[in-house]
Amino acid sequence: MKILVCLKQVPHKDARLDIAGHGTWIDDANLKFEINDYDNYALEAALRIKDAGEAEVIVATIGPDRVVQSLRTALGMGADRAVHVKDEALEGSDSLGVAKSLAAIAAQESPDLILTGLMSDDANYGLTGPMLAELSGLPHATGIVSCEHAGESITVERELEGGALEVVELPLPALVTVQTGMNEVRYASLKGIMQAKKKPLETKSVADLGLQASDVAPKVTIEKIYMPPKGEGAEILQGSAAEVSQQLVTKIKELGLL
Amino acid sequence: MSKTLIVAELQNGAPREAALELITQARGLGGELVSLVIGSGVAEAAEDLAKRGGGRVLAADDAALADYTSGAYAQAIRRALDQESPDLLLLSNTPIGWDLAGKLAAALDAGVATDVVRIEQEGDDLVFIKRMFNAKLDSRLRVTGSPRIATVQPGACEAYAGSDAGSVESLDVSGCGSRTVFKELRTAAAGGHDLTKADLIISGGRGLQKPENFDSVLKPLVEALGAQMGASRPVVDSGWLPHEYQVGSSGQVVAPKLYMAVGISGAIQHLVGMKNSNFIIAINKDADAPIFEVADLGVVADLFEIVPALTEAVSAAKGG
Ligand SMILES: Cc1cc2nc3c(=O)[nH]c(=O)nc-3n(C[C@H](O)[C@H](O)[C@H](O)COP(=O)(O)OP(=O)(O)OC[C@H]3O[C@@H](n4cnc5c(N)ncnc54)[C@H](O)[C@@H]3O)c2cc1C
Ligand SMILES: Nc1ncnc2c1ncn2[C@@H]1O[C@H](COP(=O)(O)O)[C@@H](O)[C@H]1O
Repeated sequence: MKILVCLKQVPHKDARLDIAGHGTWIDDANLKFEINDYDNYALEAALRIKDAGEAEVIVATIGPDRVVQSLRTALGMGADRAVHVKDEALEGSDSLGVAKSLAAIAAQESPDLILTGLMSDDANYGLTGPMLAELSGLPHATGIVSCEHAGESITVERELEGGALEVVELPLPALVTVQTGMNEVRYASLKGIMQAKKKPLETKSVADLGLQASDVAPKVTIEKIYMPPKGEGAEILQGSAAEVSQQLVTKIKELGLL
Repeated sequence: MSKTLIVAELQNGAPREAALELITQARGLGGELVSLVIGSGVAEAAEDLAKRGGGRVLAADDAALADYTSGAYAQAIRRALDQESPDLLLLSNTPIGWDLAGKLAAALDAGVATDVVRIEQEGDDLVFIKRMFNAKLDSRLRVTGSPRIATVQPGACEAYAGSDAGSVESLDVSGCGSRTVFKELRTAAAGGHDLTKADLIISGGRGLQKPENFDSVLKPLVEALGAQMGASRPVVDSGWLPHEYQVGSSGQVVAPKLYMAVGISGAIQHLVGMKNSNFIIAINKDADAPIFEVADLGVVADLFEIVPALTEAVSAAKGG
């Protein structure tokens, strides 16, 4: 079994977000980056299938040089090889451009199963997985919280609203997008990190994927990114911890709860 | 906008609130409105939608559509698109909407914007306003292609309340099928920790940093106030607390007399679970955290200082 996991590198969850001068994205010059949380769970799901039997796990990402770090982390966790797509043509790209590039990798690799995250923690699009499935002619399910693999199919639970779940069976090859909390994500061991250095990591351009810049030209552009306008908002209490606590106690009493 | 097609989701055989919100969005843009209802035995729901302002309602009624599957539903929508050639296709940002939006956009080579809160008309063009970075930033998206596709965040606008009666037509959806097979629906397991009836809920988020802090920092306050403890999703995802503590779109929806959010940023999926609380207090060290937009009272400070001080003040108040 061959499994392809698509990883996106995103700003660290606790990073301070400043808007860049051009106003269309955040200033990422001095940011710390990490693997998108949803994708960690996707990788873990793939590694569990590998642990349970025979599987090759390939990780793929599209982005600038810094994303190699995330691929190394994934290899350290247990992925077998990595594909990095780097190309100027992809810099202003949208989800469809990313999905087309990933679809070209999928066409070269013919995986039995593709895993992506449900959504990216930066742009929050939630599009790439279903797009990649459609472009690759695969059935898909989004937001899964469990996955059982038996023979030629997988059975997954899709998370719905309010904690409800939908059980769906997909014939392989298929694509699923993973919701957070699906499993307990492993850390890369020291041994894993040492081994990762010897694992294959290929770098490809858009042309290597058999695509042209025009194929990945965006249909969606971010015109502007900005701090949300502040509404009335909360009344912010001022003072020391003790003073603030007194004010809160007064309020809780007023509400009849103390 | 000359023509908008909305996909109206049903719940218990009737249009769900989010569907009526799509009508509001579409009518706000003017032009022609066509609604699509998909399922098996949906005649009544289609009539209902037509009465509630859905315009021309297409009923995609077929036994193969009884349960949601991405393949069959996408085919049904494509039949409607082929017949109507709308300029804009609107879905709700729900498990169905986010399952289909990317698939349809890729199939049609169309531009798509997800989880949109507002659509603005600029001349002949549309601009889609969407939250990013878990609601910390807003963005304006320019989308090209035909049709343009968008999923709209439930609750982003009022449900349409007009009564301009429309009409119902049936759409031929024979032969729609899917390779994904629907097996069963599992409703949320009834947990032993029902937050929906609590008067006072104190929820901890990722800001608490580690599971031990729920016991050593948050729990003393919860006990001093006789409150119930809640949590945001990452806390549950990390296994710090069981799922039945989770407040939000994929957890419990609560409306206590007082909701205290401690170390929670205020992502939309959390807000939908608690924003109707009678009174909201937020403690967060980031003054720009979106939680302060829905809170009544806020404390911008380190929770590890405020929570113990508050616990002490509560105990003192009870003692005296
Ligand atoms: C389909 C879907 C369903 C979801 N369902 C839910 C749901 O039901 N419930 C839910 O909660 N989320 C849900 N989410 C996840 C949601 O998008 C957010 O990721 C989540 O709510 C963030 O949780 P948080 O606020 O605890 O963490 P973060 O966003 O990381 O926020 C942590 C906060 O703690 C503050 N903080 C850190 N340290 C301190 C300190 N020392 N003192 C004070 N403040 C501090 C930070 O400033 C920050 O604001 C869902 C997401 C998706 C896509
Ligand atoms: N640049 C990228 N490289 C690899 N995978 C990506 C990239 N962007 C998005 N993905 C995958 O698609 C998922 C959803 O992302 P998005 O559609 O941007 O919300 C992510 O969780 C990743 O698994």
